[in-house]
Amino acid sequence: MEKTRRARGAGGGGTRRGDGISRRSFLKGSAAVLGGAMLASHAARALDLVRRAEAGTLSPDEAYALSRAENILYTSCLQCNTGCGIKVKLYEGLAVKIDGSPYSPFTLVPSVPMSVPPGEAAGIDAAICPKGQSGIQTVYDPYRITKVLKRAGKRGEGKWTTIPFDRAVDEIVAGGVLFGHVPGEEGRVVPGLKELYALRDPGAAAAMAADAKAIRGAADKGTAVAAFRERHAAHLHLLIDPDHPDLGPRNNQLVYMWGRKKGGRADFASRFFADGFGTVNTHGHTTVCQGSLYFTCKAMSEQYRGGAFDGGKKFYWQGDIENAEYVLFAGANLFDANYGPPNRAARLTRNLVEGKTRITVVDPRFSKLAAKANWYLPVKPGEDAAFFQAIIRWIVDNGKYDARYLACANRAAARAAGEPTWTNAVLLVAIGPDGTPGRFLRASEIGLAPDGKGSGGARPGDLLVAMRDGRPVAVDPNDDVTPVTGDILVDTQISGLRVKSGLRIVADEARARTMEEWARLCGIPVDDIAETARKLTSYGKRAVVDVHRGVSQHTNGFYSVTCAMTINLLLGNFDWKGGMIAAAAYNAVGGGKGQPFDLARMNPGRTTRFGISVIRHDIRYEDSTLFAGYPARRNWWPLSSDVYEEVIPSIGDAYPYAAKALFTYMGAPAYSLPAGHKTIGILCDTAKVPLYFCSDILVGETSAYADYIFPDLSYLERWEMHGSHPNMPAKVQPIRQPVIAPIPETVSVFGEEMPCSYEALLLALAERLGIPGFGKDAFGPGQDLVRPDDYYIRMVANVATDGEPVPDAGDDEVALFLESRRHLPRTVFDPARWERIAGPGWRKVVFLLNRGGRHQDYRDAYHGDWAANRYGRLVNIYQEKTAGTRSAFTGKPNPGYATYVPVCDALGKTPEAAGLSAGYPLRLITQKDVTQTKSRTITNYWLLAIRPENDVLVSPADAERLRLRSGDMVRIVSATNPSGAWDLGNGRRKEMRARVRVTETIRPGVVTFTIGHGHWAGGAADIEIDGTVIKGDPRRATGFNANAAMWTDPHLGNTCLVDPVGGSASFYDTTVNLVKG
Amino acid sequence: MTGETAGVEGADIILTMRDDLLRALKRPAGDRRWAMLIDLRKCVGCHACTAGCVAENVSPPGVVYRPVFEEESGTFPKVARRFIPRPCMHCDRPPCVGICPKADKATYKSREGVSAGMVVIDYAECIQCDKCVRICPYRARGRDEARYYSARAPFVPAYETRPQWEYGRTWTRQPQSIPTGTARKCTFCLHRLKAGLLPACVTTCNGRATHFGDISDPESLVARVAKSAGAKTIRKVTDPDPARGKVIFGGSMTEPRVYYIL
Repeated sequence: MEKTRRARGAGGGGTRRGDGISRRSFLKGSAAVLGGAMLASHAARALDLVRRAEAGTLSPDEAYALSRAENILYTSCLQCNTGCGIKVKLYEGLAVKIDGSPYSPFTLVPSVPMSVPPGEAAGIDAAICPKGQSGIQTVYDPYRITKVLKRAGKRGEGKWTTIPFDRAVDEIVAGGVLFGHVPGEEGRVVPGLKELYALRDPGAAAAMAADAKAIRGAADKGTAVAAFRERHAAHLHLLIDPDHPDLGPRNNQLVYMWGRKKGGRADFASRFFADGFGTVNTHGHTTVCQGSLYFTCKAMSEQYRGGAFDGGKKFYWQGDIENAEYVLFAGANLFDANYGPPNRAARLTRNLVEGKTRITVVDPRFSKLAAKANWYLPVKPGEDAAFFQAIIRWIVDNGKYDARYLACANRAAARAAGEPTWTNAVLLVAIGPDGTPGRFLRASEIGLAPDGKGSGGARPGDLLVAMRDGRPVAVDPNDDVTPVTGDILVDTQISGLRVKSGLRIVADEARARTMEEWARLCGIPVDDIAETARKLTSYGKRAVVDVHRGVSQHTNGFYSVTCAMTINLLLGNFDWKGGMIAAAAYNAVGGGKGQPFDLARMNPGRTTRFGISVIRHDIRYEDSTLFAGYPARRNWWPLSSDVYEEVIPSIGDAYPYAAKALFTYMGAPAYSLPAGHKTIGILCDTAKVPLYFCSDILVGETSAYADYIFPDLSYLERWEMHGSHPNMPAKVQPIRQPVIAPIPETVSVFGEEMPCSYEALLLALAERLGIPGFGKDAFGPGQDLVRPDDYYIRMVANVATDGEPVPDAGDDEVALFLESRRHLPRTVFDPARWERIAGPGWRKVVFLLNRGGRHQDYRDAYHGDWAANRYGRLVNIYQEKTAGTRSAFTGKPNPGYATYVPVCDALGKTPEAAGLSAGYPLRLITQKDVTQTKSRTITNYWLLAIRPENDVLVSPADAERLRLRSGDMVRIVSATNPSGAWDLGNGRRKEMRARVRVTETIRPGVVTFTIGHGHWAGGAADIEIDGTVIKGDPRRATGFNANAAMWTDPHLGNTCLVDPVGGSASFYDTTVNLVKG
Repeated sequence: MTGETAGVEGADIILTMRDDLLRALKRPAGDRRWAMLIDLRKCVGCHACTAGCVAENVSPPGVVYRPVFEEESGTFPKVARRFIPRPCMHCDRPPCVGICPKADKATYKSREGVSAGMVVIDYAECIQCDKCVRICPYRARGRDEARYYSARAPFVPAYETRPQWEYGRTWTRQPQSIPTGTARKCTFCLHRLKAGLLPACVTTCNGRATHFGDISDPESLVARVAKSAGAKTIRKVTDPDPARGKVIFGGSMTEPRVYYIL
């Protein structure tokens, strides 16, 4: 048998060419040269092949190679964000087939225990989705870059030169006239990072950070600023603006934003940007996903400490659908996305067929999930809160809430009631003269003394108050000694103060409208709502409301999610088997008992970053020195972070200050954000973004506008600690590790050879800038951080020893470990070195890497009727911290409870009032399709073959009115994009031309499309490298992306509509028209 | 080991069916009756089987062994959607074998070994006449026209020309070497069965809709599900392209080995 030519250890056979795109010497040999002679030989050998195979006379060469343990490596998928465990099957060093890992509870339910040896697991393939199956097409994409590209033309013009890695790093660090060859930039001086790395003294940084914090708290900002200036006179020149010290040092003018980044890489980057360079501008992409779901749950998880609510966790809950008996899914699309089909489908389909679980699906679109539902309710887009409010009203009116749970006012009461969590439903909230709920009443305000022996740590003056049998009692929510329960629906006066219990506020709000009024708003009949409420309250704690993007990605997302989660509180299902559960992951950063490497503390030179970020998060507008009345120029985000749609537009507005350098990683904001086209103009403007460099595996939709692109490793070539998702009851830590040889070129940093990558770039910048925390002895004496594995092997050792340590790998497993990595070059695999790094934990590291991570045994995921991995704390039904914030646009206080808020723009105007909707009658929504992950899977031809293009779904009624038929082409236009096109810069445009599909699966008046098509980069268009044109493949440019039709907020001008509280980018609020032709 | 997990209540059916398979492989070939059963109530339309099959068998553009057809019916909001995977039916009365000019050589109903009962193709014998492709009522065969998915990209990556193991031997799909040019179709992943693995579409089924095994073994899951739920077969498929084709159930004339629960 003729063997494929394959250069071992070179990225699965990639050879280099000058333009930096990897290439395999493929047809040159076998087809062109061998010709007819080989044909005859082939035919001869193939004779009688089936029969010979049956007879078992195949040579070892001919036998199936992909089920042998030595040809399999376990890692974690990243074709979407689920992080399913995968087994990658290798043939002579080439990844040829990917399947689900039997060790992973995302792909096998239940997964096999960790005790099963890899030799046995080799024979078991588990389930992954089509994107997971197609992953090698991302990895071996012919359009991947292997060398650093530097812009040879204008931003976005598509002209590049390859330059040596070291030169690129030197240029970024030193700055200067870097683009003198580009017309218009002959004299432009680019600021280098060494100039932005201004404040380098950790002691001074810590002192200034403390005083900047004092400015926030000061009522008299002028005096506080003067005091700051006096105390830090020697360092004022390092600040962005000495008159506004709260903006922080010039270090903050380096802005780093990312798309998909997981643990490990996140920690590595944090060490560089936050602890090393000292910029506060490190922003993720949360709000383009399900931001308001995260930040509502953060607000609900704020804990009462030191007299205030703080320390909330950025996370969320999902339903334990495998054990729930009834699930109300709203805006959740689990057979196409939602972390993810392999995990959630396997846990649901069997129960549905057996009748063990019943589900209702609330969605304007008849999704694949709706196709399996027992009941389907087509809600109006953006009116989810009206539906939830009606349910809350029904539950309250009928007394069907879990009164025993809601009565618990502290930890001790919860314990006595057999509850893992408790709420503040019975705590009393002070009601303002206008009826607005404000802060919780403090016991000291009514002269109430502590009742029991407090153990929660609250000072007597900070105790809160509940009403018990009509008498006020002082409560510390954290008290775990003296149980306090309270009256549930309180509305009374104490010492002349009007107070209501948290639940009473919720109940009154739901009763503010009749069932009929709520029904009219949400478009679902009263009877259907009542029936849904009845079902929800008929299964005890095994009923859940499970929501996702469809609820959160509206301008009212924060409150709609609050309503949904409030229903779960009324059901009292948190931490219960079949109820709402939270994610649990084994700790990789260390610091726990028995863990060898406390990585955050192993950083003696770390600095303290401080200042206001470019997106103005984690601070109230009123607390800044920039406060200048309402409306603020842009929003402030005291409750949210990682507000993706804010980063580039804020840089564009230089509000609150100008940025000097932008670094992006694995993100495509231009493509993925609603009104993302508005970011392109900003990125093209070298005055607004003087330096833009990025890390990417190809020239993508946004990296196409960069000055420098550093080639990165794909998910099969690199490390990450993927973590978990809230629908996973078992504790896990999927480990992403190199399973193939790296495809980018080899570079040298700190004297070490390694593949060009995200880590290599950060290491090289640290080396040049002298950033502490990297280099020789960076972790402490004798412990260097000069290579990626210096970090990641320590993390694996930590995962292995979180809690009960995993067993040591035996000699046979160590042998398999080495044999199965025989194709990996020393630049990414050096077992002797790894063993030295890991120390005594080495064999545990081998044990985990042989299995692609750590997964709790299925049987240990529950303790009786409780989830084993519990949240176990206070859940706020009333959010005092939220109620203490105001809209930076209107100055109105934000409600701290479940309420209905209509869709509106930044200034609080409805779309009608803002003049956005007239003449645009169709509500545009969007959804995921299982074959695409936003910007980054169009490169997978196997997926593209399943759905070569997307279409716009139109109901028959709308189609008739617009005289449209399936197959017609239309332009998608809106009030803020009347031409229906993407402006790609440099005179390039891409029209939003869509093929119509008329279907009964969409609510009349609504149109929808899937995100994933409509590309202009990533191999979709021609680019020029070193003067050679790399032809694009037009198949990658098929279909359309209607994000540019989504409304640009009239006040902001360069950003989509936003949820001003929870941060979500609005994906489902725009109205459009479809113009034929 | 699998017994440890597969034996317990609530085991993943992937493990249950794997145990069934390993048991079946120990039985004489003549006593086995391979069958596939697809429970459409559990098929969530994820298309993982389609992609997994292409990846496993390195099938080229235009040849999809196992597409998933999608159906819509009803009027909003009383709508129904159904997803129908369609592999080769491995018929007991296969029209493709009858029409083949080299019947019993190029394509035939295997009578021995692990493949016993399957319709197989001997790529070396296939004269590339296309008759079988045209006659199959399920449109389950395609002709390998020697194309590559990456043909318009800067180069064709190695995974498109890498060896694969259909029918239990290695094939390296290069221009002018078989199986390019020949008829191709689903093999029930014979090469995987031989290695003790279930077909790729079965192990990657996200909804656990696809069942496979020896249906003559009453203990096997596939036999138990078929018995309990009343299995149906397909009569015909109107177009091989799922974007256009319809799947019509009932009244099959070819005695398919692939069953559906509707």
